[in-house]
Amino acid sequence: MAPHAGFDTEQVREKARKDLLYLLEGVRGKKNLVIEKELAGPLGVIVKASTLRDYGVDNFFFLENKNTDASQRNVVFIARGESSKHAYAIADQIKRLQRESQSPHEFHIFWVPRRTLLSDKILEEAGVLGDTNVAELPLYFFPLEKDLLSLELDSSFEDLYLAKDPTSIFLLARALMGIQQKHGLFPRVIGKGDNAKRVAELLARMRQELLAGEDVNETDKIGLTPSTTTESVIIIDREVDLVTPLLTQLTYEGLIDEVFGIQNSQTDVDSTIVGTQPLPAQGASATAAPASSTQSRKRKIQLDSSDKLFDQLRDANFAIVGSLLNKIARRLQSDYESRHSSKTTAELKAFVQKLPGYQAEQQSLKIHTGLAEEIMKHTRTENFNKLLEVQQNLAAGADPSSQFDAIEELIARDTPLPQVLRLLCIYSCISGGIKTKELDHFRRLILQSYGYQHLLTLQNLEKLQMFLSRSSPLASMIPMTGSAGATGTKTNYTYLRKQLRLIVDEVNEHDPNDIAYVYSGYAPLSIRLVQCILQKQYLLSITRGNGAANAPGPAAGGAQGWRGFDEAVKHARGQTFDEVQKGEDKAVKARALLSGGGDKKTVFVVFVGGISFTEIAALRFIAKKEEARRNIVICTTSIISGNRMMEAAIEKGTFSKEAPKPTAGVVAAGGA
Amino acid sequence: MMDVTHPTAGWEQVGERFYRKIQLYTQVFDLDLDLDNFIVAGAPYGGAIALYRNEDKLVAFNPAKASKPSIDIYSCAGKLIRSISWDKGSIRGLGWSEDEKLLVVTAEGTVRCYYDLQGDFTQFSLGNSAEELGVKSCKFYDHGMVALLSNNTLISVSSYDEPRPKQLAPPPEEGDVHSWNIIPPAYTLSRSVEVLLSIGDTVYVSDATECEDRFLDIGPFTHIGVSPNGKFAALYTATGKAHVITSDFQTRLSEYDSRSRIPPKYLEWCGNDAVVIAWEDEVHLVGPGGSLARFYYDSGRVHIVPDYDGVRVIANDTCDFLQKVPDVIEDVFRLGTDSPASILLDAVEQLKMQSPKADDNIQLIRPHLVEAVDTCVNAAGQEFSIHWQKQLLKAASFGKSVLDVYNSDDFVDMCETLRVLNAVRFFEIGLPLSYEQYQRLQPHGLISRLLNRHEYLLALRIAGYLRLPTDKIYVHWASAKVKVGSEDDDAICRKVVEKLSGKPGISFEAIARAAYDEGRGRLATELLNHEPRAGRQVPLLLSMEEDELALDKAIESGDTDLVYFVLHQLKRKLPLASFFRVLNPRPTATALVEASARDSDGSGREDMALLKDLYYQDDRRIDGAAVFIREALQQPEARTAGDKLVLAAKLLTDNTKENAFELSALKEAASLLHAQQVLESNLNDDFTGLSVNQTLFKLIKLGYHGRAKKVQSEFKVPERVAWWIRLQALVAKRDWSEIEEISRARKSPIGWEPFFNQTLQAGNPRLAATFIPKCTGLEPGQIITMYEKCGLRVKAAEEAVKTKDAESWARLLEAAGRNTQEGREIERLGLAVFKR
Repeated sequence: MAPHAGFDTEQVREKARKDLLYLLEGVRGKKNLVIEKELAGPLGVIVKASTLRDYGVDNFFFLENKNTDASQRNVVFIARGESSKHAYAIADQIKRLQRESQSPHEFHIFWVPRRTLLSDKILEEAGVLGDTNVAELPLYFFPLEKDLLSLELDSSFEDLYLAKDPTSIFLLARALMGIQQKHGLFPRVIGKGDNAKRVAELLARMRQELLAGEDVNETDKIGLTPSTTTESVIIIDREVDLVTPLLTQLTYEGLIDEVFGIQNSQTDVDSTIVGTQPLPAQGASATAAPASSTQSRKRKIQLDSSDKLFDQLRDANFAIVGSLLNKIARRLQSDYESRHSSKTTAELKAFVQKLPGYQAEQQSLKIHTGLAEEIMKHTRTENFNKLLEVQQNLAAGADPSSQFDAIEELIARDTPLPQVLRLLCIYSCISGGIKTKELDHFRRLILQSYGYQHLLTLQNLEKLQMFLSRSSPLASMIPMTGSAGATGTKTNYTYLRKQLRLIVDEVNEHDPNDIAYVYSGYAPLSIRLVQCILQKQYLLSITRGNGAANAPGPAAGGAQGWRGFDEAVKHARGQTFDEVQKGEDKAVKARALLSGGGDKKTVFVVFVGGISFTEIAALRFIAKKEEARRNIVICTTSIISGNRMMEAAIEKGTFSKEAPKPTAGVVAAGGA
Repeated sequence: MMDVTHPTAGWEQVGERFYRKIQLYTQVFDLDLDLDNFIVAGAPYGGAIALYRNEDKLVAFNPAKASKPSIDIYSCAGKLIRSISWDKGSIRGLGWSEDEKLLVVTAEGTVRCYYDLQGDFTQFSLGNSAEELGVKSCKFYDHGMVALLSNNTLISVSSYDEPRPKQLAPPPEEGDVHSWNIIPPAYTLSRSVEVLLSIGDTVYVSDATECEDRFLDIGPFTHIGVSPNGKFAALYTATGKAHVITSDFQTRLSEYDSRSRIPPKYLEWCGNDAVVIAWEDEVHLVGPGGSLARFYYDSGRVHIVPDYDGVRVIANDTCDFLQKVPDVIEDVFRLGTDSPASILLDAVEQLKMQSPKADDNIQLIRPHLVEAVDTCVNAAGQEFSIHWQKQLLKAASFGKSVLDVYNSDDFVDMCETLRVLNAVRFFEIGLPLSYEQYQRLQPHGLISRLLNRHEYLLALRIAGYLRLPTDKIYVHWASAKVKVGSEDDDAICRKVVEKLSGKPGISFEAIARAAYDEGRGRLATELLNHEPRAGRQVPLLLSMEEDELALDKAIESGDTDLVYFVLHQLKRKLPLASFFRVLNPRPTATALVEASARDSDGSGREDMALLKDLYYQDDRRIDGAAVFIREALQQPEARTAGDKLVLAAKLLTDNTKENAFELSALKEAASLLHAQQVLESNLNDDFTGLSVNQTLFKLIKLGYHGRAKKVQSEFKVPERVAWWIRLQALVAKRDWSEIEEISRARKSPIGWEPFFNQTLQAGNPRLAATFIPKCTGLEPGQIITMYEKCGLRVKAAEEAVKTKDAESWARLLEAAGRNTQEGREIERLGLAVFKR
């Protein structure tokens, strides 16, 4: 057996691409493709619409639009198989086409990521199972970036914490199991939070089941011995730190997400901001979207590392983006001017060769200048600054009652609801609940200002344990500020703020020295937890000074797992675990021998319930520091932001008499 | 020395190559059995042979023999494996799949798939058209089949696990199909099965989407044969001519005239180079260029079973294998050869006779010794005679010993393989696998064939010998045990568990299912407890009606699909109350029911009734009220919406203290709806759907200040909030006079700064400036900037002078310019205080 190559997200993309195209190839002739809306974006990440056309796809439809027509004999449905609604929707459309169409049809369903018993049953009951060809399209992780894998389950936050539907945990475990089967067991499984623990348990169970499986052949056996290319997997439950994503993101990519929203590495921006599409229309719109209406003035911008400029800017604090853009513009200018100085034909030729590169860069510079200006308009508003001020005060541990007037004013001024709720949730989460009297006051303000339908919204937030009374039965076990007794039921920010030094005052945005740069002075707790494992020495060095009696840190590099921070970690919500996966000794040695060892190993940092762009930026900052020792790959159920968390809770219905219109995406906090 | 025939004994030259006939077994069938009366089908890779009496033939009545029709399954050596009684009427297709499933197709299009040689079967239908029109005949390939109906319609099934009968492109309906055959999908460009049909003088080719005429004029053809690799086809005309062409009908390769008037019984390919044409007792082997070899069988009728690399010839007294002599064998044994391998083989002979020629031989082939050894090893694999296998391996071993360096892996592998092959070729097992077939079947394929024959010991030995997993063998054994074992449940369970304990990978679920299918429910439950994979147990538990256990196991597995599946079944099966009782102690299950009820039919509509009942049963009042509120939001009219809100409130009234907030909110919501209705009828404008604040805003903007006041007091909107709303509404309305009016008030609960900011932003700096003196608690210097923002530099300068802010004063002066009137004014103001 050849020594195993390390983990590479490109393999994931390649495999996904091959799987999809192979299935498409199996459907002879032209076909109509009907895609579940939520899958269209993720599929665009792995294959371009033009490629699909090469494989005989004639028309694209959204499953939800129910407008599939009979123009082709072959109809291919691609949808997620976990939920019954897609099976019902597909069954309906098949029946409709069979009823209405003159000619016979061939129906194919590709279930993502797996065919389920439930969907089979529903199709069977609808009487269409016999008329369809059912296949599996095992797409679990979608590779958004070289270091970022996402299941792209948009509703995973809502499912997990509000509906308590653990499907995404299972799918995440499956996806991680897939990595293990290819690259070997994670030698160490470390994590924090109840759902994270559940993922670890499922991994252990799946390992046992694989062991007990009947068809264990040689390739599967790799999955049963510890990997030599993976160092460990760190699993963090979103529930452990709900505050971080609630804070307004301040990195460039984070702010784009806050202001415009990013879906599957793309954002929709009014073309007046970024200019219209350059003529070769191939470029950015890789999504397999049904013929988008040409009148739409929105333009899709691809936001990933293929845009070199964006790659430099994305993780920077927005405060310095302006000057970075300036610098780049000047460099581009001077590079371009260099054509005048080129004397010889060889020089000129070299210049002409670089020309397409310049043009691409120029184009991208134009886009990002436009975006940055628009964001700037936004960040200059009174509202934005007020929100930010209150947030930062709360995060820094100011007495919440000092912020009441400001919050009340924001509500009275009709600040977009998600923004207001984010503030209130931050308040509640940090203080471990709110006094009943204050809570009722705020709840009344919300209802009066935004409508009584939000009684449901408030109930949802209570279920999420994000906005509730200290006396609520759901909050009964919250440790009061400072009391270290009852640990693990609620994250104690007051304690952890000191212990893990979440507030760093002297932060330098230009040349950052700590992850706190991402929030201009607040270090995300979720990422500090990762540092507890990966950067013990550094973290000890910055926390020791503050007098908090930490266990005498075994700062030596030998310490693994949570060692040195066990006490601090206890003050965060949920179970803590640290397990070592061993295999047969012989096999381990043999594989160590084969791979030679000594290479950089991969650490998988897994977020159950979603991760924000800002947290990703902070992790990348760590990855950069650790570059020499290890690779960090981030895995998540979805990309999340404070607004998306609020959307999960906010009731969309209103009392107005018109048919409820689909609420437009998240409205950014903005000018009065 | 033993009396052994030389390997070349059965060789026949066909063109430039040799073909050999190897006698695999003798005394195959009872001599009483007249093979002429039977339809015979054999499974590929030396598999079993099925016999069914040909209904078209008359048979002498024999009272001694039962006349009940049956399908008899024999091994190649003629051992009866199983007799399956058949009462389903006329059989129109009898064939095998690659994994030795027996397929039997009736005239009505019912297909039975006997999957284990023991009579267990699954069944499916080829569809309505087959039932109405009737099946004429069938062809089978690796894992699928095609049936030809009486109107020339073709029905294809591409998988027996999930049979989906599909119609292929129809050939012309008129005209008899004289003969037909298929090209398996693995060998076609279209990835669909292709069918060749002889109709009229020509051949039609039909696949999933189209049917094409190949425009031949030499038909009709009584036989069409397709080579194993799908590249060539042989067409046999009624006039006794055989044409060999490429299967794309582009190239004609050869032609052969049998000069026989009698149509042959069989036309099959023997490997990819030759065609076998068989009559009653005569077999012709036609090679490239029309070269020919003839074989005669004097014992009566023969049947031909095609295999991948040759054909088996079945007669009463013999089972022969006819194939092209493999290259390596020819290399070693061909008469007059002087290949290194043959010399090496001779050397061993000499060595045995202690002749020095042995060494001479070695010296002779020294430069080619590695090649010679390799050839001997490979030739051993192709040889069926154990004697010659040994000789060849000895030769290889001898040659090896002379070489300094030689990688013996192939040699060792071959020794292992031959041991396995010889063991299964033994007549009691009767699997005459050639080396080629074994390579394709793979060891695990061989094991499952042994399992179908209940040869557990041999299977275990082979698995152990080849280091293969043994769990499947144990499971199969145990399943057979629970099916046929006569002991009581406890004894069998003990026996099975005892035997299988400590063996990894045992699927107790499979064994339990076998027990359950046999009607031994209790045994099944007991066995299931030993299954380590929770998820696996679920479907069986469900079919055993162990509902709650199934649900628990599904939850334990973490696989929500299983949980959903069980819930889906239970919801249909149980009365609602019992369903809820099952849910109650299981929060995960409850959550999933709620989640799917929230979006039950894929269009976003929720199953409200189910949720209401669920919450009522569980006494979850708040959640129950939420359902009513959601209903209220969907009401088209404010009046009905109000009713729903009342219902929601009613649910909460039992506990007024705990639900005080919700109750008052619901009450307010209802009164807001009411108030808005009143406003709408009075003011003839839309209000429903607005929040309290938005209602206030709208009223003020429309100028109904009195009504606004009333709403404010009715809903107890806090003063500060009300002020903000008023300010914003007035600014939006640009009602400057009203704002000025307000500015006369002594105190504002929100201070005057918002007034300044809002009016300034709305573009009225003059008015904005009037608020500056009223602002309190400002930072020093802020007033200066505020005046500046209003464009009042002089005022700003006054302030600067007042606060002795020289710097700002200078800045203002600079901005105004010294020569303007404004500048001079500013300078004048500052002169007194700021000495230069």
